[in-house]
This record gives sequence, structure tokens and C-alpha cells, in this order.
Amino acid sequence: MTRFNALNVALALGLLAGCQGNRSDQPPVHIFQNMDFQKRFEAQEVNDFYYAVDCPEEAAAYDEAKAKALEEHGEEEPIFVKKCFGRAMRTPPAGTVAVGHLKDDDHYFRGRGPDGRLIDALPPQVELNEALLKRGEERYNIYCQPCHDYVGNGQGVATLRGGGFKVQPPSYHTEKLRAMPLGYFYKVISEGQGTMLSYASQIPVEDRWAIAAWVRTLQVSRQSKGGK
Amino acid sequence: MPAIFPRWTNNIPLAIAILGPIFGAGLIGGVWYYFSPKFTDVGYRPIQPVPFSHKLHAGDMGMDCRYCHNTVERAPHAAIPPTATCMNCHSQVKTDSPKLALVRESYESGASIPWIRIHQLPDYAYFDHRPHLAAGVGCSTCHGRIDQMTVVQMDQPLSMSWCLDCHRNPEPNLRPLDQITNMDWNTAVESYDPKSDGRKRELTPPEHCSGCHR
Repeated sequence: MTRFNALNVALALGLLAGCQGNRSDQPPVHIFQNMDFQKRFEAQEVNDFYYAVDCPEEAAAYDEAKAKALEEHGEEEPIFVKKCFGRAMRTPPAGTVAVGHLKDDDHYFRGRGPDGRLIDALPPQVELNEALLKRGEERYNIYCQPCHDYVGNGQGVATLRGGGFKVQPPSYHTEKLRAMPLGYFYKVISEGQGTMLSYASQIPVEDRWAIAAWVRTLQVSRQSKGGK
Repeated sequence: MPAIFPRWTNNIPLAIAILGPIFGAGLIGGVWYYFSPKFTDVGYRPIQPVPFSHKLHAGDMGMDCRYCHNTVERAPHAAIPPTATCMNCHSQVKTDSPKLALVRESYESGASIPWIRIHQLPDYAYFDHRPHLAAGVGCSTCHGRIDQMTVVQMDQPLSMSWCLDCHRNPEPNLRPLDQITNMDWNTAVESYDPKSDGRKRELTPPEHCSGCHR
């Protein structure tokens, strides 16, 4: 009988331990810690060194709670639920320029000519060739297609679901947008336009030009009257 | 003279001979099965502060992975997007959804959303996404069918032996460079030979220690 019980216990333990690949919302247990977790800053990690800068309001409340706890119980760490977290990654202080990021080329970085107006040409650094258009198509399909759709009618999948957009993206194939200089599309990607937000942080400069060239290609493809 | 040991002790060597190997094998088997990252790590799916569904965005809507994780080709780390990326569309769509309350709050205040990291390598391993994408390792090879996950979970163990399995024989896990984010691409089914692809760089994933450990 005891042997039978031992078998049962072993079975139950096995079942409790579960199988490989079982789902769990508990963080993985590292049985051998080795040096898996080190005091090292990783990209996008929480770090409260600049807590007071990143979360000014909460930091003030935290300091208050800390002072109160120290006074009442002589404890240093108060019971405090943080809703805001400091960041290990820092943004440059306002008004400073990092080395190599001056962006003093108006044509390349802002799409504007010497007269300060939007320019209808690729900057000299960007060569118009098949590779550029291929890159433009690929990047357009990643970043623009969800709203503007594959051909630029402004009926992308994001605008059709969940109740739709309040303001529909415009079609590229209107007289107004056909007449716009190439720099205009670069500027809209960089700075946003109307309800569209800036994509400057998502798309590097050279890719923005590639996308602008691809948007022009989409426009021209509709106007073609045979031949080229 | 009476016997020092009772008669039943004669069975002890036999019992050890039989039970010892069983116990030993059980111990080794238990460690092999339960101490493996396949058991400790695979299937980890924390509850995120915002119930973002990859199945909806990447699966049903077919958005490219790089729309949000846009640094993956340019940086070691495939960044979790800033709240501004969510707001590109959600300033227009589902603007009143209570599920998105934290996103709107974060956008207003500038405070980060406390997303919980799922894929966490040990701190002594230095992983870089760039060479893997450049070589044609697809997203789904390591992260699984993210486009079918409402709640993202760890799909592969990310253990050292798992890394080395591929580093020692990468070809079966590679795909054309324009299919990187294609979740449907099945390396087991598609016949693709990276050697006849006209690649400029030779495929030589490092197998030496300092390839990943510095």
C-alpha cells in the first residue's frame, strides 16, 4: 500500500511540475543564476537614477512619503506604489546638438532649396536608381501602407477597422497633391501634416527620400498615357 | 554465534543495484527536462499593462513588424516603440477605448508605459539583431508565430545550445532577405538555398566564445 502511495505522490509531483512549454505569467526561474542578471544598463531598461527628472510630480510625492516614514517609523523606504519609472536611456538636453547631428543641409534634412521653399528634386546625396525605388517601395509598404494603402488611395487597413479614421488620409492622385514638389512629401513624413504625426523617429532621412520618390512613382504611374 | 545482520539485509545490494540506476536516471532525466530553458522559459507570457494584441495588428491587419520595431535593422536592440508610434493611428482610431487609456495618459504626460520584457538573454550574452537579419534569419524563427499570439509568449528557449544549433548549421533556418518579416514563411517547407542566392557575404556565424561573450 505504501508503495502505491509513493507512486501516486511521484505522479502528482510530475503533474504539478508540468510540461515543457507550459504557459505561465510568472517570470522564468533561473535555477543556476550564474551571472544572468548584472548591474548593467540595457536599452529601454528602467533606471531611477534620474527619477526626479523623468517623474517630477511623483518624485516629489515619493520624497514626501519617505520623509514621513522616516519621521514616524524611522524607516527609510516608504510603502509607495510607483506609476512612473525613470529611464536608463537619456534624450539630449534641449538646445544641444550631438556630434555629427548638426543637420545643416537644408535640402537633405528639410527638403528646402536655397530660397527656403520646398524643392522639387532629390538631394545630391540621393541618387535616383532602381535600388532607391525598391527601397522606397519596401519602406512605403512598411510605414505608409497601413493608412495610405499600397497604391496611395488613402484607404489603408488601419482606416477601415475599429470605427475608421475621423479624418481619412487624402489620396495622392489629386490635382493638388500631384502638383506638390518632392520636398513636400519629405516634409510631411518628417513633420507630419494635419492629423498625421511625424515619422521622423521611425524612418531615417535617406529612407524618407526613398519613400518620397516612391510616392511620386505611384502618382506618375496613374498618369501614364501609354509609352513611358 | 548469531548473525550480526538480519537476513533481510541480504537484499540491500540487490535493491541498490536495481533502484540506484533508476534513481540516478530519474535525477538526470529530471534535471535534463525541468532545468532546461525549454521548461523554465518557454511559454512565459506576462500580463502587459496594455492588452496589445499582436494577432490583431501583425496578423489580421498585416502590419509589418518594422512599423513598430523599427530599430531592428539598425541597432542591436529591436526597440519597443515609443507611445507616439501607437498614437500615429490611435489618435484617429478607437480614441475612447478604455484599453488604450494608459497609452493616451503616457502620450500626454511623457511617462513610459511599463511594458514587461519577455525575451531576456543572460547579461553576459551580447546579442545583436542586425547580423541575424542581414543573414536572413526571419523574425518567426526565434519569436514564433507572433501574428497568431493575442498575448505574446516566449516560443524558443534562447539557450546557448539552441543558439549553437543554428550557428553550426545555419542554412536550414535562413530565408530570402525580403522575407524576413513574413510570418508565413516556413523554412522547413520552402526550398531555399542561401548559397545560390548571390549573397555578397559568406555565411560564417561565430562559434567561438567571444562571438557572443565579451
